[in-house]
Amino acid sequence: MANAETDARAQKRPLSPHLTIFRPWLTMAMSMAHRITGAGLYLGMALLALYLLGAGMGGWLHALTGWLASGFIGGMIVFLITWAIFHHLLGGIRHALWDRGLYMDKEGRELLAKASLFGGIGLTLLLWILKAIAG
Amino acid sequence: MSIPTHFNSGRSGQGAAYVSDHEGSEHARFMRLSSYALAPLGVLSAWWLAGLVGETLEGAKAEIGRPFPAIVLICFAIIGMIHARQGMTEIIEDYVHDAALKEKALHWNRIGSIAIAAAWTFGIMLIAAPK
Ligand code: HEM
Repeated sequence: MANAETDARAQKRPLSPHLTIFRPWLTMAMSMAHRITGAGLYLGMALLALYLLGAGMGGWLHALTGWLASGFIGGMIVFLITWAIFHHLLGGIRHALWDRGLYMDKEGRELLAKASLFGGIGLTLLLWILKAIAG
Repeated sequence: MSIPTHFNSGRSGQGAAYVSDHEGSEHARFMRLSSYALAPLGVLSAWWLAGLVGETLEGAKAEIGRPFPAIVLICFAIIGMIHARQGMTEIIEDYVHDAALKEKALHWNRIGSIAIAAAWTFGIMLIAAPK
């Protein structure tokens, strides 16, 4: 950090979600969604950690545990967390494909953007349907 | 160690992109490697987490207290939060430019990520411990 020369050079480098270079908006939206779901999962994991700690320890944390497990809002939050996991996971697969130089042309990029959008929704619905059937 | 890619590195030539004098490529490589572990862990964890909804406390504890779910969920949280800390570091470095604020944000990110993984792991260990 400390070095002024390094700092000056760092200032000149582009930052990563480089809004000015994006055009096709679906690929841009999916790039942003990867970051947003990542940050959202951070929060979601914090909430679930409190839930698990409450379930294990009892005491005052039980209140949160009960709210998350049986309330509508708690259910919605867990639903959103599972969606975020799937969406972010598919975003990760997209990055892994790109690392290997695959699907980098225009059609490929668009295909992957659509696949992560609809795939994320689809896998989430599939999970909850299977869960409902499995009981 | 390097991961084969199709890209050229200015430093090392074809196929070895993860080389840099700075921490950036180490960081990117870690995000990739951790994501390979997180993908299967994430699918399994999503399944058991979804199972918590609408469950009584006793039912939820019985479900995630079994050895396999407990171990998978703990691995997901520990690898996931190391990954999330690295990811959040990247986000902070991108958006927070005030030096003092950035230090503070990075500091709380370190503490927060460890606290989350610890609370999660501790909770599951309490649930899964033989009574
Ligand atoms: C489910 C399996 C997961 C996979 C396959 C995965 C994959 C990835 C990959 C490949 C990246 C790097 C993206 C890039 O280089 O731009 C990334 C970033 C990130 N991940 Fe994950 N991840 C997973 C789970 C999680 C979880 C559970 C969390 C949070 C607790 C999380 C939080 C983040 C954050 C905050 C970033 C940084 C986002 C950014 O820089 O834009 N990830 N993930």
